[in-house]
Amino acid sequence: MKTQEMLLNVGPQHPSTHGVFRVVLTLDGETVVNATSVPGYLHRGIEKLVESRTYPQVLPYTDRLDYLAGILMNWGYVHAMEQLMEIEVPERAEYIRVIVGELQRIASHLVATGAYAGDVGGLTGFIYCFRDREDIMDMIEMVSGARLTPSYMRIGGVAGDLPDGFLEKCQKFIDYLPTAIEEYNGLITGNEIFQHRTKKVAPITAEKAINMSLSGPILRASGVNYDLRKARPYSIYDRFEFDVPLGSNGDCFDRFYLRILEMTQSARIIRQALAKLPEGPINAKVPKIIKPPAGEVYAETESSKGIMGVYVVSDGSTKPYRVHFRRPSFVNMGHFDELIRGWKIADVIAILGSFDIVLGEVDC
Amino acid sequence: MFGKGLLKGLKITIGRFFGKKSTVQYPEKRLPLPDRFYGKPDFHYDKCIACNLCVNACPNKVITLGTDTVEKKKVVTGYHFDQQYCLFCGLCEEACPKDAITFTDDFELTTYDRNTIGIEFVKQEQVDNKIKEIKQAAAEKAAAEKAAAETKVQTENTDKEQTTNKEGGA
Repeated sequence: MKTQEMLLNVGPQHPSTHGVFRVVLTLDGETVVNATSVPGYLHRGIEKLVESRTYPQVLPYTDRLDYLAGILMNWGYVHAMEQLMEIEVPERAEYIRVIVGELQRIASHLVATGAYAGDVGGLTGFIYCFRDREDIMDMIEMVSGARLTPSYMRIGGVAGDLPDGFLEKCQKFIDYLPTAIEEYNGLITGNEIFQHRTKKVAPITAEKAINMSLSGPILRASGVNYDLRKARPYSIYDRFEFDVPLGSNGDCFDRFYLRILEMTQSARIIRQALAKLPEGPINAKVPKIIKPPAGEVYAETESSKGIMGVYVVSDGSTKPYRVHFRRPSFVNMGHFDELIRGWKIADVIAILGSFDIVLGEVDC
Repeated sequence: MFGKGLLKGLKITIGRFFGKKSTVQYPEKRLPLPDRFYGKPDFHYDKCIACNLCVNACPNKVITLGTDTVEKKKVVTGYHFDQQYCLFCGLCEEACPKDAITFTDDFELTTYDRNTIGIEFVKQEQVDNKIKEIKQAAAEKAAAEKAAAETKVQTENTDKEQTTNKEGGA
């Protein structure tokens, strides 16, 4: 029988891409023969835009990279700037950063978990995850005044102290989270159809993951123990007790389940930070007009998607000469088109969902 | 047994079906907003000292401040807030030393056409009143000064007269 290969566009408008992302698939029947990913539909030129902004003005733009984890993006930038200017951040500010940062990580993983359930056909799981994410969004709104674009961190500290009632609300959420995770496990993880769709689908070996410089949950799902918070602790992460969950097969299921495990660990960190939260100032002494010394800096933080690197070149003026963001989703996507070759078209959606990309970050 | 996980999931959803609702009927019922919420901006004309700090703090050049100098005093003649470019980051509010620019909790910012998105906060009568006030204050001050100077001259003159009288008397 004579067969013909078929070209199929997934996206740019497709619910499973979680934004505007296009994959051009060459199909042989239902099997993917070749794939090309086409990012760039959400490119805003943030790196160029911030060159005409002063250093504090860069901050609101970092929110718009990974808009599901705005605070972690803020953190990457201020962390780099603090290294460039050699600013010591006050204790209380560091604890506040850890608390809101880990809350944001849970929120981001909740979206990943819920959206993944939705991608493979269980929309109920999506709604359940978003219900609990709403509690975190409320808390982030309390501290920063916005849900998705908090701009909460400042060079040398945070924008404002924790408001009244935040600590109680946070404690309540942390106490509630295990019950919620039990629900997700019952609803999504334990579902046989879900397991059939994800287990043994598109495994990534540890070697391959390292070679493709994957980071974050995708890397750890392949069994590589590399979490910046443990491997190279920044901020005050060396003071907390937590484990780095690891996967064994590196398949879609491991990538999915690892995020649920990480939520528990984040909750553990928040619990410790809440107990130890010291009193004191929330901002270091930073000059009103920020003029870092001429030079360059590259600093990395562990965002919810992987390693977030920020490279800043200063020429001694009030505006950065060059800013570059190493966005984890973008780097992780580098392995995507190679990975989906040979899998069925339904698996492509499952694989894309397990990568948990955010297009704001991929395109920047 | 195959299907056990499915049944467990169904049990959870059925349990939730009879549970408390997490949503509210939006336009009629609203959830409370926190104090720090960044909604529609608000400008307080009397507090503004026309220092231009908010204009410089804004990453997107949203704010245009018009000033005029009346009797050596700065008067705000215009405060245009081009809301369509606002990031709601709050850097202007943070920069303001007098809390002249604040954000309300009004988040329903949709308009029917693009020209109505920008907000012109300062009304002409506010400016007129302010200028009038300043001019009046300046006039009063000048009058007071003049009066003070006159009384001073007068007292000096009387002093002089007194001394000359004294001298004459001697």
